[in-house]
Amino acid sequence: MWKEIGHRESGKLRPNSFINRIRSNRSSSLQLSNHKEIVSSHRGSINSLQVDLTEGRYLLSGASDASLAIYDIQRATEYEAGGLIAKHKPILVDKQHQNGHKYAISTAIWYPVDTGLFVTGSYDHHIKVWDTNTTQVVMDFKMPGKVYRTAMSSLATSHMLIAAATEDVQVRLCDMASGAFAHTLSGHRDGVMAVEWSNSSEWILMTGGCDGAIRFWDIRRAGCFSVLDQSHSQLGRRPPLADPSTTKVSTPKARAPHRKVGSGSSSKHSGNSKILKHAKGSANKRLHPGLLTSQDRATAHYGAVLGLKATEDGMYLLSAGSDSRLRLWDIQSGCNTLVHYEIVRLQSSKAIQLAVTQDSGIVFLPCMTSVKAFDVWSGKNRMTLQGHYENVNCCCYSTHDQELYTGGNDRQILIWSPHKLISDDVDNCDRRTEQPSAVDEDNWSD
Amino acid sequence: MEGVADDGKTVAIVAGLIEKATNSTKPELDPRILKAIKSVVRHSDSELRIAVENLTSLMKRDHSQVRYLTLTIIHELFMRSKLFRTLIVENLDLLLTLSVGFRRNQPLPAPPAIASKLRSKAIEFLEKWNTTFGVHYRQLRLGYDYLKNTLRYQFPNLQANAARVQQERRERELRTKEILLKKYELLKSNISSIKDEVKSIVDEISECLEILISSKEENVPLDPIDEEDFEDFRNIELRAIREKSLKEADKVQENSENKVVFDALRELYKLLVTKHLVAVQESISVLIRVELSDNRLRDSMLKEFIDTRNHLKSIKKKCEEAGCVLSTPENDEEEDIWEEGASESFTISKPVTRNKQNDIPECSNSKESNVKMKVNPNLDPLKSKLMVEAPVMKWGSFLDNWGSDRGHMANQRGLELESHWGRVDHDAVIPADKIAELNVQATVYEEERKEIPHCRAPLKKGGLCERRDLKVCPFHGPIVARDDAGTPINEEPDLNNVSGEELLKQAVKNVRERDKEVMKKREYDKKELKRAKLAKIRGHNEAVLRDAAIASTSASSSIGDIDLDREKDSLAKMLKKKATAKDRLAARLLSRKAIARQKDLEDDHSKYREAFPNQW
Repeated sequence: MWKEIGHRESGKLRPNSFINRIRSNRSSSLQLSNHKEIVSSHRGSINSLQVDLTEGRYLLSGASDASLAIYDIQRATEYEAGGLIAKHKPILVDKQHQNGHKYAISTAIWYPVDTGLFVTGSYDHHIKVWDTNTTQVVMDFKMPGKVYRTAMSSLATSHMLIAAATEDVQVRLCDMASGAFAHTLSGHRDGVMAVEWSNSSEWILMTGGCDGAIRFWDIRRAGCFSVLDQSHSQLGRRPPLADPSTTKVSTPKARAPHRKVGSGSSSKHSGNSKILKHAKGSANKRLHPGLLTSQDRATAHYGAVLGLKATEDGMYLLSAGSDSRLRLWDIQSGCNTLVHYEIVRLQSSKAIQLAVTQDSGIVFLPCMTSVKAFDVWSGKNRMTLQGHYENVNCCCYSTHDQELYTGGNDRQILIWSPHKLISDDVDNCDRRTEQPSAVDEDNWSD
Repeated sequence: MEGVADDGKTVAIVAGLIEKATNSTKPELDPRILKAIKSVVRHSDSELRIAVENLTSLMKRDHSQVRYLTLTIIHELFMRSKLFRTLIVENLDLLLTLSVGFRRNQPLPAPPAIASKLRSKAIEFLEKWNTTFGVHYRQLRLGYDYLKNTLRYQFPNLQANAARVQQERRERELRTKEILLKKYELLKSNISSIKDEVKSIVDEISECLEILISSKEENVPLDPIDEEDFEDFRNIELRAIREKSLKEADKVQENSENKVVFDALRELYKLLVTKHLVAVQESISVLIRVELSDNRLRDSMLKEFIDTRNHLKSIKKKCEEAGCVLSTPENDEEEDIWEEGASESFTISKPVTRNKQNDIPECSNSKESNVKMKVNPNLDPLKSKLMVEAPVMKWGSFLDNWGSDRGHMANQRGLELESHWGRVDHDAVIPADKIAELNVQATVYEEERKEIPHCRAPLKKGGLCERRDLKVCPFHGPIVARDDAGTPINEEPDLNNVSGEELLKQAVKNVRERDKEVMKKREYDKKELKRAKLAKIRGHNEAVLRDAAIASTSASSSIGDIDLDREKDSLAKMLKKKATAKDRLAARLLSRKAIARQKDLEDDHSKYREAFPNQW
């Protein structure tokens, strides 16, 4: 680390790569934090966790007892054991709110633009939009079945749609501006467990259903434009995008992706445009690929798709299924990259929430009572985070602090943080006049 | 090089020690092995790591006893080594699963009694760990919180209980302090009135006494006790009594003239003792116990009160001298007086019996006094000799006319049989020999009370057998002397203790003897021959068997092996379900034979019923 700082000082390292290195270093050394803990106010299993996207400061949690809470993860409410343990108590708890949910909250997400609003979905068939400051429900959508997941696009500038994955076969988009359903996307043959917006385009929606299919939708057009097929694969990562011609050579098996991405598809990835245009050209032949049965029946998992997570750069998609597999998909080509993640056992009854580090280096996957950290590209198990006493449902990675938050059936929200610097500890010891640290020493009586 | 070799050696040591410590059916760890483990682990981290591995694998054994002993070792090391803590805490949930058994699909293994012990111990340990090291290990806090708040396990809560007790005590103290303070305030406001009252009563009493004294005539001075008298009264108490009685004469006697004064004095005395003295005493104690910021006022008050009390006491004494006695027994002062009196009378009565020395010795009825007499050196030698011979009798009415040869009046009251009054025959006399006949003392043989020893065989659940049987305990066989661990002290040397050679010698000797006998017998009896042959063969077989057993291993190791085998057997035996009386009965009753017999019976009965349908 000091070497890197030296390099940065002498200008050998660019600021961005310096930051990235530090971040990845920190994220690869997570462990159960002893200095920071969240005092969970929930009386049921925690189903959903999210840190707000604007400040990276407020953690929103929804639990099975129909309660939700917001924790300030930057500033502790109280300290214990001489400032050694920072306790974070909920700054907002909602229990038995008159307009609150009746049954378990399955999803709770922040409005991506600011922290003034958040959205919750529950097993009582409702999606509610809350005003954070007044803790009032400002909008209520009645869904046809239990709500499993909701998602809002963090890139969206032209719409404010809540995508809702429910028991129902149709995916609905709830428009917060009008308070009505804007779209009803049909194509899944069973309930939908997972939903995720693309990180590269504000109109692309990805959903995973209990039928094992992952479907891509362009919300500006009717029908789904792509169904991921697990047997349709490419080996490993695609080579850099700057050289599209080699792409084709290296992946001869890959069929042309059937996707129509509008001209407005992220200007950031200008390098993609060629492929995308090519894709568009080939797809022009078939206006409704969803009607092609051979394509339409493709599955991404044997069993339900429990969780979806797109990488930060919007190029890859991770999916976890009830067949206890984690798969990495190339979004552009729609191919299974065949990364072999070490086999784990996943709970199969509930939707789970995955988390990916900012540089897409590590994916965190809740497996029964532990959370496993896999290297995204090699599939190797980097860490096993063991601390929960019952099944873990969700994890959420804070890019700001490089911390991981996990919530499970044992009602706890655990914080996994990188090693504290030694200097920090020394400071702590000095600050504390009494020495509880002295207690934690070898104590041989004989 | 050396380090590596060293490591290799010690690794084996640690693993072996742990294995040895946990392979036991005893409820507690062997402290020596534990100490050895500690000392080995203390000196090298690599061994500690291996110990952790070993212990975690042992925790997975399907035997509660092994898990229990392992957990005790873990606790011992946990409280001592930091590295051990960090290693254990990483897999705390696994450890808790295996020791508490909170997961439904992983219950604790077989011997249920030990399993429950294991669980309670694990919970206790977890609490202890949490209170001591919880601050440093989030995992400990999590585990504790999970078991306590989610699964609602009952923790012994040692620390909290102690804290609560202390809190209660503190509260109580605070309350008493408050009460004292209140009393003090009250006293401060009342002090003048108390003083006045005391003063008035003191005045009155002194007036009364003055009247009495003035009315008293001049008395003769006390004549000194002469020397001979002194000789007579060996005892100081007796002398005191004498002096007292002499003084008694000195007192003013109550008569019709001063009766009124006496009455008044008595009244006042009573008031003094029951009310004022008590009140003053109480206020003194309040003043002593109260805690104040400013002590000057209190000290002065205390001084005043002590003075008053002393004054009152002197007055009380005067009153007593004048002959006032309280009869109410509930009073404290009264009790003191009574006690004094009692002790006095007691001390008086004893020397009297001792000093009288006339015709008591024959009926000295208690062994104790008998012994005392013997010890007493200033006794007449003849008397003491008699005392030694004297029979020890129980107390009874016959002692009244011990040694008398008078005749007794028969029925001089006229009470006849069956509760009817009858004629009184004043002359009817029971002759002395008849009386003696009637008074023959029958004594029942009394066994000397002896403590029947406990069986003291070690029990499975820990502790020793508490049964007291004379010779044979129904559960543990004949009662023999045992040490604190319950192992017999002087057991007869058995196979294990005898070395191989001795065994062999014995065997050979036995066979030879038998041979000789056979030779003798052959001469006498032909019929015996067959049996003798058989015996010979048997003896030979035994010898061969023994030889084989000894030859298979070296003598020293074979003994150890036998021990180990037995231990393993018992560990395995713990898992087996014990056959209870009920089981045996069930096996007997539900056996095929029994059922068949039952069926036969039923068949017979039905045949009979068919043959004679009209008979019941």
